[in-house]
Formats: sequence, C-alpha cells, structure tokens
Amino acid sequence: MTGPSAEELRALLFRALDEHGDRLYAFALRMTRDPDLAADAVQEAFTAALRKLDAFRGESNIATWLHRIVYTKAIDLIRQRGKESPLPEEEDGDFGPEDDRLARTPAWARPPDEILWGSQTKEALEAAMKQLTPLQRAVFTLREMDGMSTDEVASVLGLEPGTVRVHLHRGRLRLRALLSDHFKGVVRP
Amino acid sequence: MKCGCEDLGRRLTDLRDGALGESDCAAIEKHLAECPSCGDLHRDFEDLARLCHESERPRMPLAVRRRIEEALK
Repeated sequence: MTGPSAEELRALLFRALDEHGDRLYAFALRMTRDPDLAADAVQEAFTAALRKLDAFRGESNIATWLHRIVYTKAIDLIRQRGKESPLPEEEDGDFGPEDDRLARTPAWARPPDEILWGSQTKEALEAAMKQLTPLQRAVFTLREMDGMSTDEVASVLGLEPGTVRVHLHRGRLRLRALLSDHFKGVVRP
Repeated sequence: MKCGCEDLGRRLTDLRDGALGESDCAAIEKHLAECPSCGDLHRDFEDLARLCHESERPRMPLAVRRRIEEALK
C-alpha cells in the first residue's frame, strides 16, 4: 500500500492543525487539566506524527490518528510530571455493584433553566470531570463533548465499542452523582 | 430481554448510542414511561448531554499554534 511522502504528510499535518487543532488542544487540556501540559502534549503529538510516517500509511483518518497520539502523550506527561500520581486504577469493562449504587443516586433537583444551563453548572461540570479516571475522562470528552461516534472513540483508545459504552455509562453515572450535589447547593428545597 | 431497573440503567447508554435493536428500544421506552426513577436517570443523562454540547470548547492559544508550526517546518 502506498501512502503519502514525507512532504505530503507535512502538508497534511499543517492542514490538520488548522482543522483539528482546537479539538486536539481541548482534548489534551481536559486530559491533563494543565494548559502547559496540554500544549506540550499536542506539540509532541504533531512532531511524533511527523516521525511516524510509516504508521500513518495504514490509517484512514488523520484526526483519529492524532487524537490517539495526543491521548498517549497526555497520559505519559501526567505520569511523568506527577500531575495525577499514582494514576487512579482504571476499572474493568464489566458493570459491577458500584455502577448500580451510582444509578440509585437521587435525581437532579430541577433548577430553573438559567441555573441548569448557566455558567455555574458548566463550571461544576468541568470540576466534576476532574474526578473521573483518565480513561473515563477521555471517553466522555471524545463522545459527549467532541461529538465522535462510539466507533471513532474505540479507534482512538484502542478499545472495543462495547467497552467504550461501559466506560461512557460509568462516566455519566459519576458526573450525574457529582452534579446532583451541585444542584442540591443551588436549588432551594 | 430482562428489563428490570438495574438492567435498564446499564442499557440507557446503549439506547442513546443507537446500539440496540427495535424490540429492545421499545421495551426500554415502555419501562421509562412507567418507572419514575429510570425516567429520572434518562432525563438527567439527556440534560448532561445538552450541558456538554453547550459547553465552550477551549481554543488552542496562538502561541501554541506557532510553536507547532515551527516544529513542523
């Protein structure tokens, strides 16, 4: 199979920077929770991509490929710099009692729309996301915030689509529980 | 399919993802209409998705973009 030459790949990466740079940076920022680490992760991903011409030859989608490299770099950087050390152990891909317990969290108190969709709730969401495991955060960010399909997320993270859905469900349950506490604080009984 | 609350909770993500067949979807929709706690879970998931959709995506700072452009030259 023939692929792009080194110069063609460089041009592809420049185009990808224009088209996907913001998405990649946002993903790195949500993973690392640190603007400097996020910048390093994305820069290292692009330079690594430039060196991995052979690896790209088998890829159909440069955005998926770059997200995969950014994810790997972000995890490496947060490990190296002790940002999240030790990294929380990832739970396996099967449902368990903890998932059932979270599913029984009381429903959100229904705040008025201006609170539900307001900036305070969005800040609470960003804060709650920091409490997910890195894998849950990656799955949730790519699927819910970036709008990737489950198959694309699976491809980025090297997981089966069914496993992505398990981590996505678990992330949703955790965020719902965390935001439930937020709404309790802002909605009068 | 078994459609008790525990099982359904786990399938809500499959439902939202379009990963279920027609009969499973119909059974879940029926349960959601009849079970307040599962209905609440579903509604909270819907609101969570909307919150995410409406959240502002951070933009790459210009200085970072310039650094990457330099590195690619």
